[in-house]
Amino acid sequence: MNLSMVEFLLQQAWQSIRRNGLMSLATSSNMTVALIILSSFFLVTVNLEHMADVEAHKASIRVELEDDADRAQVESRLFGDRRVASIEFKSKEEAFEDRVRRWADVLEEGDPETLAVLLGGNPLPDAIIVKPENPQDMPAIAKAAENIDGVAKVSYSQQVTDKLLTLARGIKVSGLVAAVLMGMATLLIVSTTIRLTIYARRREIRIMQLVGATNWFIRLPFILEGAFHGVMGGALATVLVLASYTYAHAYVQQHLEFLALIYDPTFTVLLGLGTLLCGVLFGVAGSWIGLRSYLRHV
Amino acid sequence: MIHVEGVTVVYPDGTRALSGVELQVDRGEFVFIVGASGSGKSTLLQLIYRELVPTEGRVIIAGQDVASLPRGRVPMLRRNVGVVFQDFRLLPDKNVWENVAFALDVVGASRREKFRKVPLALELVGLSEKEASLPSELSGGEQQRVSIARALVNNPAILLADEPTGNLDPDISWEIVQLLTNIADRGTTVLCATHDRVIVDGMRKRVVSLVGGTVVRDARGGGGYDEP
Repeated sequence: MNLSMVEFLLQQAWQSIRRNGLMSLATSSNMTVALIILSSFFLVTVNLEHMADVEAHKASIRVELEDDADRAQVESRLFGDRRVASIEFKSKEEAFEDRVRRWADVLEEGDPETLAVLLGGNPLPDAIIVKPENPQDMPAIAKAAENIDGVAKVSYSQQVTDKLLTLARGIKVSGLVAAVLMGMATLLIVSTTIRLTIYARRREIRIMQLVGATNWFIRLPFILEGAFHGVMGGALATVLVLASYTYAHAYVQQHLEFLALIYDPTFTVLLGLGTLLCGVLFGVAGSWIGLRSYLRHV
Repeated sequence: MIHVEGVTVVYPDGTRALSGVELQVDRGEFVFIVGASGSGKSTLLQLIYRELVPTEGRVIIAGQDVASLPRGRVPMLRRNVGVVFQDFRLLPDKNVWENVAFALDVVGASRREKFRKVPLALELVGLSEKEASLPSELSGGEQQRVSIARALVNNPAILLADEPTGNLDPDISWEIVQLLTNIADRGTTVLCATHDRVIVDGMRKRVVSLVGGTVVRDARGGGGYDEP
């Protein structure tokens, strides 16, 4: 393919886009909406998964010891488990002070000694806080810890992680369904636009066929037209989504700092490129469908 | 150059367009294909530029059976077979030069090639002066000349003309057919389907008559519309 051929193909594609101005605008806009929906669902899903991951890594197992337990032995048994990342001993006194500090607002008597007297002694046990290497191993580690001599009680909380993961899964499924539906609608619209273009240019196509243009040469301008709609829709969607996401990230950082949103340059660049690429794929696939179903009848 | 051997064409609706047609045309020959509407003239031409494939028989062009050409090779055949129609089929928003260059654009010709070949083709059909005009600014005869220039610009070995004078006045028709015979004299094989009795009688060229899809007469040595 030489330079004048490329020039001719681009010229043909651009002519079609201009001639079908309104329809082209509608197609690119529809592509934008579809891609915004797609990337929004993607953003929500990956962020929920990220939050679940962060929560999971915060989670720990609390192993309470019996009063007469051999602390060193329990610690060595726990540390011997390959799934355990770290252990930390928390004496009953530390636990009591923590508790008192946390309740200081509600309790009139904020002094630990007075409170201990009131309660008839420190009711809290010594405990070992276990951090797992992998949050998924928590139930297994907890079960093993229960069987160690001197362990009174084992508890861990996985509820937050589980809930976030369930939510992420739900959103992923509904996002996928929405994406498939929007994707189909976009393909339909792009292919209809291309069919209209083919119809408008049927005379030209007929002449091209008669003077010996190859099928690829006839198809390429339409494929380029579809890709153009993809790039336009993708670019606009990227700008809108990234602007909204940047705003959302700033808001969350200021007002809801306990939520951990993913935000770094690599992530945003990849998100933009991914959206553009999706747009181009949609555009090219839509053109291809339009061409396959129509060009042979010209 | 062209060998049509026992060709029968039956359309999907059962219409029999051609029946057992035999025809041999040599390089540089000029042949009129005559007959009433529906006699199979256009069908015969369509077989040669492979718009149709025969139901039975073979069409061989330069030693190649066109029905057995893979789809991807059909464009190559068409670069070697120029076609001219009654309705000119020009692109209304392109000027004369661009309409002719279009046939070169779509086969990937370089800019240099276009600037060499388009003026030659326009000179051959006598339209060098009108290269910047739009088709709507030209007479019917001039439009047909543009369409002939477009069909010839790729230097095809064969030129097919399907009722090229159907939309033209008698004087202009005569000029167009004269042009086609000049083209044949330069070595291009020309098949001209027509039902213009006056022109065929006046030219005294080879005449192949079709009636109901069958060749009823082949006046090889030159003849009129009805008599040898």
